[in-house]
Amino acid sequence: MADGIRIVFSDVAKRFDERVIFRSVAGEAAPGEVLAVTGPNGSGKSTLLAILCGLLRPTKGSVHYLLAGGQELERAAWRQHLGVVAPAMSLYEELDALENLRFFARVRGLEDAEARCRGCLELVGLDPARRTLVAGFSTGMRQRLKIAQAMLHRPQVLFLDEPGSNLDPDGRGWLEGWVLAEQAAGTTVVLATNDAREMEWGTRRVALAV
Amino acid sequence: MWRWLSEAWAVAAKDLRTEFRTRVALSSLGLFALTTLIAVAYSVGPFRISAEDRPFLLAVLLWIVVFFAALAGLDRTFVKEEESHTAPLLRLSASPHVVWAGKLVFNMVLLALLLAVIVPLYCVLMGYRIELVGAFVVLLAAGGFTLAVVSTIVAAIISRAQGRGALFPVLALPLLLALLVFLIQGTTATAEGSVEAVDASLRAVVSLGGAMAVVSAMLFPLVWND
Repeated sequence: MADGIRIVFSDVAKRFDERVIFRSVAGEAAPGEVLAVTGPNGSGKSTLLAILCGLLRPTKGSVHYLLAGGQELERAAWRQHLGVVAPAMSLYEELDALENLRFFARVRGLEDAEARCRGCLELVGLDPARRTLVAGFSTGMRQRLKIAQAMLHRPQVLFLDEPGSNLDPDGRGWLEGWVLAEQAAGTTVVLATNDAREMEWGTRRVALAV
Repeated sequence: MWRWLSEAWAVAAKDLRTEFRTRVALSSLGLFALTTLIAVAYSVGPFRISAEDRPFLLAVLLWIVVFFAALAGLDRTFVKEEESHTAPLLRLSASPHVVWAGKLVFNMVLLALLLAVIVPLYCVLMGYRIELVGAFVVLLAAGGFTLAVVSTIVAAIISRAQGRGALFPVLALPLLLALLVFLIQGTTATAEGSVEAVDASLRAVVSLGGAMAVVSAMLFPLVWND
């Protein structure tokens, strides 16, 4: 727990040209907490997550990643500590599941990559020996593979945007167990959802309005 | 350093693997180059240009075929990442310099394949006789590298813009004009057997390639992250 990363954001606003997505959103997520970002469709949940993980810059406001000692992590270093599952982020359709994970393990410079990739695939219920390209996967299998990719490097911060979408009941049950286990292990979890059951995982909440 | 190279190679290997499975860029490059080459071979042929003009005019035609074929396919490396929504995860997983180097290697491999097929075919079909073959190969390598460097950074710039299909040649061509001139001069000199002229052109191409590579490497993180 002591080694985790605290995310603090304040007065965050985002506008695309003249379209205001949200104004002045603030919150924080500490290690071992699940911050649930809720709000109706179009309220900017995914945009807020993209800002918090560094893919988008806010029009106004600030986001800070704070280490246990209080020192701030530079923006360029954020990505090493993040695992992200989001509908707007796809994996490579022309590769199979294991090839996808091998690629992400290699660009992250992970040691023991092969064992980790196989282990993550087995954990999410995908067969590492299956050579089917992702293009031939069902939406549920793709979601499982995205989750495997997010856990591959054992990140200290997890951003989960509608993580249960397209999963079957077994998959949802497994997902809940995994998120709660990560929370117990001191991972900082930021969750964007409208699912009542997923909202219950949240220990803090940020509600966005249209 | 080894780790950085290994990560960059992972990006290039992933791109090569997906490209050899889909052949989108290879088809664009290859078909454009072949159709242009056949059109040039039929319309001009090996005998319609006087012996005196051959070294220069055939060099011009060769590089026009290569440049426009390159412009038809080398933007795919970044455009595909954006269109298939794989770019965000790549941004979160790899450092910008690793992505830049990996994409550059991928474009260099595509160009090497293009040059390996098109140049010998062109020389045979057009009866283009090169006196300084070794220097010509070095010129092709240096020219291919510089062309790949410029294509990679321009492809990254246009990949998030609307109307990117048209933007790529529009943005790339002004940056490539100087290279085109040096390569035509150098190729003419290799056909004429003028060592001094080849040397001057080669130096210019290598300098341009080096400068472009440094500027691209510095510029890429800004382009890729925002």
